[in-house]
Amino acid sequence: MAQPEKKKKPQTQGLRIGVYVCHCGLNIGGVVDCRAVAEYAASLPDVTLAVDSMYTCSDPGQEQIKADILEHDLNRVVVASCTPRLHEPTFRAAVGEAGLNSYLLEMANIREHCSWVHLHDKEAATAKAKDLVRMAVARARLLAPQTEIVVPVTRRALVLGGGVAGIQASLDLANAGYKVGLVERSGSIGGRMAQIDKTFPTMDCSICILAPKMSEVGRHRNIELMTLSELESVEGYVGNFKVKVRQRPRYVTDKCTSCGDCVAECPQLAPNDFDAGLSTRRGIYIPFAQAVPSTYLIDMDMCLNKEGIVACDKCYQACQHNCIDFSQKDEIHHLEVGAIIVATGMDVYDPTPLTEFGYRKFPNVITSLEFERLINAGGPSSGRLIRPSDGRSPEKVAFLQCIGSRSFRSNVYCSSICCMNTIKDVLLIKEHWPETEVSVHYIDIRAYGKGFEELFRRARMEGVQFIRGLPGEIIENYKTRNLTLIGEDTLQGTIYRKEADMVVLSVGVEPRSDSEVIQRMLNLSQAADGFLLEAHPKLRPVDTPVSGVFLAGCVEGPKDIRESVTQASAAASRANILMAQGQVSVEAITARVNEDLCTGCGLCAAVCPFKSIRLEGEGKDKKAVVIEASCAGCGTCAAECPFGAIEQRHFTDAQILSQVQAATEVEPERLVVAFCCNWCSYAGADFAGVSRMQYPTPVRIIRTMCSGRVSTKFIAEAFLRGAAAVLVSGCHIGDCHYINANLHTEKRVRKLWRRMEKGGLDPNRLQLAWISAAEGNLFAEKINQLAQIVAKVTPAEIERSREYFKPKKK
Amino acid sequence: MRYSFFPGCFIPARFPGFEAATREVLRLLGVELVDLDFSCCPPTTNVKLVNYDTWLALAARNLCLSEEQGLNILSICNGCTATLTEANKKLKEKPGQRRKVNQLLKDFGHRFEGTIQVHHLGPLLNRTIGLEAIRERVVRPLKGLRIAAHYGCHYFRPPRVMFPHSLTASASYVPVGLDNIVSALGGDPIQYSRKFLCCGSVLGANLGGDDTYGVVWEKLQHMADREAEAIVVPCPSCFNQFEMGQVMAKRRKKIKFNLPVFYITELVALAFGLNPERFGLTEHTIKTKNFLDKIA
Amino acid sequence: MKEVWKHIEPEHLYFCYECSRCTGSCPAAMVLDTPGPRRILVSCLYSGPNAVTGEESLWYCTTCHVCEDRCPQELHIVELLTALMNVAAARGNIPDKIRAVTDKIARTGRSVITYRVDEERARFGLSPLAQINVEEVEALAARTGLFEKVKT
Repeated sequence: MAQPEKKKKPQTQGLRIGVYVCHCGLNIGGVVDCRAVAEYAASLPDVTLAVDSMYTCSDPGQEQIKADILEHDLNRVVVASCTPRLHEPTFRAAVGEAGLNSYLLEMANIREHCSWVHLHDKEAATAKAKDLVRMAVARARLLAPQTEIVVPVTRRALVLGGGVAGIQASLDLANAGYKVGLVERSGSIGGRMAQIDKTFPTMDCSICILAPKMSEVGRHRNIELMTLSELESVEGYVGNFKVKVRQRPRYVTDKCTSCGDCVAECPQLAPNDFDAGLSTRRGIYIPFAQAVPSTYLIDMDMCLNKEGIVACDKCYQACQHNCIDFSQKDEIHHLEVGAIIVATGMDVYDPTPLTEFGYRKFPNVITSLEFERLINAGGPSSGRLIRPSDGRSPEKVAFLQCIGSRSFRSNVYCSSICCMNTIKDVLLIKEHWPETEVSVHYIDIRAYGKGFEELFRRARMEGVQFIRGLPGEIIENYKTRNLTLIGEDTLQGTIYRKEADMVVLSVGVEPRSDSEVIQRMLNLSQAADGFLLEAHPKLRPVDTPVSGVFLAGCVEGPKDIRESVTQASAAASRANILMAQGQVSVEAITARVNEDLCTGCGLCAAVCPFKSIRLEGEGKDKKAVVIEASCAGCGTCAAECPFGAIEQRHFTDAQILSQVQAATEVEPERLVVAFCCNWCSYAGADFAGVSRMQYPTPVRIIRTMCSGRVSTKFIAEAFLRGAAAVLVSGCHIGDCHYINANLHTEKRVRKLWRRMEKGGLDPNRLQLAWISAAEGNLFAEKINQLAQIVAKVTPAEIERSREYFKPKKK
Repeated sequence: MRYSFFPGCFIPARFPGFEAATREVLRLLGVELVDLDFSCCPPTTNVKLVNYDTWLALAARNLCLSEEQGLNILSICNGCTATLTEANKKLKEKPGQRRKVNQLLKDFGHRFEGTIQVHHLGPLLNRTIGLEAIRERVVRPLKGLRIAAHYGCHYFRPPRVMFPHSLTASASYVPVGLDNIVSALGGDPIQYSRKFLCCGSVLGANLGGDDTYGVVWEKLQHMADREAEAIVVPCPSCFNQFEMGQVMAKRRKKIKFNLPVFYITELVALAFGLNPERFGLTEHTIKTKNFLDKIA
Repeated sequence: MKEVWKHIEPEHLYFCYECSRCTGSCPAAMVLDTPGPRRILVSCLYSGPNAVTGEESLWYCTTCHVCEDRCPQELHIVELLTALMNVAAARGNIPDKIRAVTDKIARTGRSVITYRVDEERARFGLSPLAQINVEEVEALAARTGLFEKVKT
């Protein structure tokens, strides 16, 4: 451990920088000569003290920093150690505890980006570490103290979707004391769970365990239940959402006692969606017996009355309680909420396009959802399993798995619940009609959860035949309507022709066909498969990239009831954390407008992925205004503004340019200046380090929150200073942490490529790469590629680019 | 409408009646046919399996012959259509393979440019000429007779090659052309199980042995179960298989199906009122007399 | 290994999870004693093409493409089998009938016997068969290496 270097007079008035070079045991110290780096740091202007320490993040290490701040009057701190993605919060907290503003800390990554990836070239690693420290010191000089703004949070929540996830989330929040608005599109809450007969693995009656929860929602004093309602618009930002909900009329008042006298009189018929189309209902109806609310409703699309003209009043006449009111109109609810939970559920795959299975051609081929309704005591056949063609009970039933899942012909993912759903279904058949021959045709059986394997075993014990091998096709005997499945039993290696009088296609689940509407209204992202995307698949599974909006249930991906309920409670908890304090602080990396320079051109507002910039005022007074609470801190606006009128705090142009200049001070013609985004490519580079992937030494990484922040002037500066090559790297298109900011990065780089070509420069010297946090290997490959480019760049080319990027005199 | 005529090997040599019917029907529908010196396509069921490069080169040669006349190809056999369509597509889309083939063809004065398309008789009648034009000329309608259309495999598979612009949501394709033509001719196109199963002719051609008829026997049984009165096919191999299949069924399993088999244009010729004897319609192995009497 | 992978990429083939819709649809597997497309593909991937190129059952494929139509992973099974048969042919494993007809096509430009065909054609008012440029056909076949493969 070196002694602090003697105090030097600061070059710039008042700057007193302390530099800490961490050994991290042998992780850094075994490769980089930390002593030498500290000595080098001490020689830099404005550095008051520079030490090397064993474990800077440890308690003693942090205590030393705090003590030094007080003793040596330090007003900037640089820690050269591991990746800031790990310990920036640690050191920010330590610095803050010593009374220095937390934003006056800068870190240099000399472990994941240096010692771990250059294990065998200690000299080069040490030289690189010195460069990285010099860059960090340069930035530290320009850091300014920041205050995080505090935004008040409305302590009310909105839950979209009344399935079991929405119900659970609403109850959790309501019981915690918050007012909750629950918006449900159909006439009753309950969702898919209300349609199912029994649940796996407990074989509970689904509606029996759900109904008490539904009832509780219906009478909870903290829950405002809006059925027949849809979200019409959302404005605002975390803690302060202004929401409009349109509620369609029931045409029946709450005096309704659910007696059902009206139904018998109604002349209109419609397919009953709740029964998956297997039965009909009348124009006036209740969605199902246990519906909440239990008030009946009129389907105006089927009703003979329109626009206030009452042509048929049969229901009105039949009603003893005078509760039918044709004059009801749409109602708009205006709500102000602090948090929104999206729990809009899923749809079931329609297997009609898979023509070889004969769905909709052969009456006795049905889907698993239709099966649920048939076997449900409240369903179209009162729980008797019957063949649609003739109403007889089937003697041989076959189940086909993975229909509409795990396939490039439909949906690529596994729908997770169909295996267990089938196992439950076959046990139900054997329980009620033990003589029935049941076979399950599968590729894999996924019985992954608690109690699932045991249920699978029970199914085999009951004599259900599991045949590994989906049939190539199903053919029908036209007279009997019986079916034959033709396929290969892969475990026996034989071709089978299985007779069945009923076939159940175990269909997968898909996102709702109109999930885009909610997605766009709330500015959420969709994953490739169409389900809504969570903020981080492991560590933030119910958050979305939009602050204040959470996901619960199948809207985020296929899952069973237990997982939906778990997610719902998790989302409620996340919403609770947000609302409990009544306020939330926003990281001080938001954008700020300099009104003197702003011309009101609106370019910033156009590129903001979160629509957090508004133009206010008229004519010459038109200025951009940033809604800081919903600014996510990507910096794309700052890169787009042609007048330098909008700046991202803590990632200003001056700060980043100083890093570029510091990087290119020594032998720039051998260097690659790389701009990496915090969420993906910087993390990918970290991952390469964690995995100890080795790559050549010429890259110097500058971190921005988003690749959208990388302005053309940064790239130009790097070339102007003689860098051999520049790498701009961000998240994959479609995966940008800031929704779509990387599209602007791409546009900018392409424009610059065209300019470089026109100017006779080799556009290959500017590379664009989309690298995710898991793609350490791609990062290493890219650096290898760049090292080769650097080796081939001639001094003449470097000179040409220096000339080309010189600022032109106007 | 003017096309170069690709009759294949089988039809001109073994079933010239089909060729005659096709030429006459197309003449009546206003299609002009140009004869070129095409060789065997060659088939995907033998040459392509033995040596892909030879297959591609010979198919390219045939395509060039038509390109040089500036004509699209009209092919009247499933197998030829599949070969020529696939070769055409491959050569248009893969510059590497195209270069290699053009190197070979150079010495014979040919060069594949990718300027023409390949058409099969079925879609030509169904879409290009159109059902209206066919209906107009029907003078001897098929009296609602139950006709089982067998498309054969190479008519539409793989759909990404044969019908790339008409794929369904599940990336497959369900053909309806022949059924439409049967309807337009006044017949009743029936549905039956395993309608799109292969006829199995290739098994017999490549390997031999009676077991290979198992496939066509199943198809015939399904057709019979739905009370078919005739079969219509777009390919001479399928035609042969359905006839021979019935002969072998009688011989080996003592089952008489008595289902007359027709090639598409034979049926069209009948419905257009042409004399069946002119095209050999009375000379089929499986007797057609009953059918002809029914529609007289 | 490399000979087959020259024609078709193995990466995509590893998507196969052996659902066996292919073999379940295959007309050859219906009536003949063959392992079917699934087992051939899987053997080829994990034991190498040599494990399958000696089998006659490889040649049972009718190229009907139903397997490809139904495969959930959209594998190009027929292309793989075609490549395997090409390799098998190079090693001399070709069924006799296929050898004979391929040879005939390469030498005469036709796959059928034309003895007295023109007489039959005349009966239907058709002109004689077209004259094929047999030299061209034979030369192309020779240059693409066909005759090495079909020599008996």
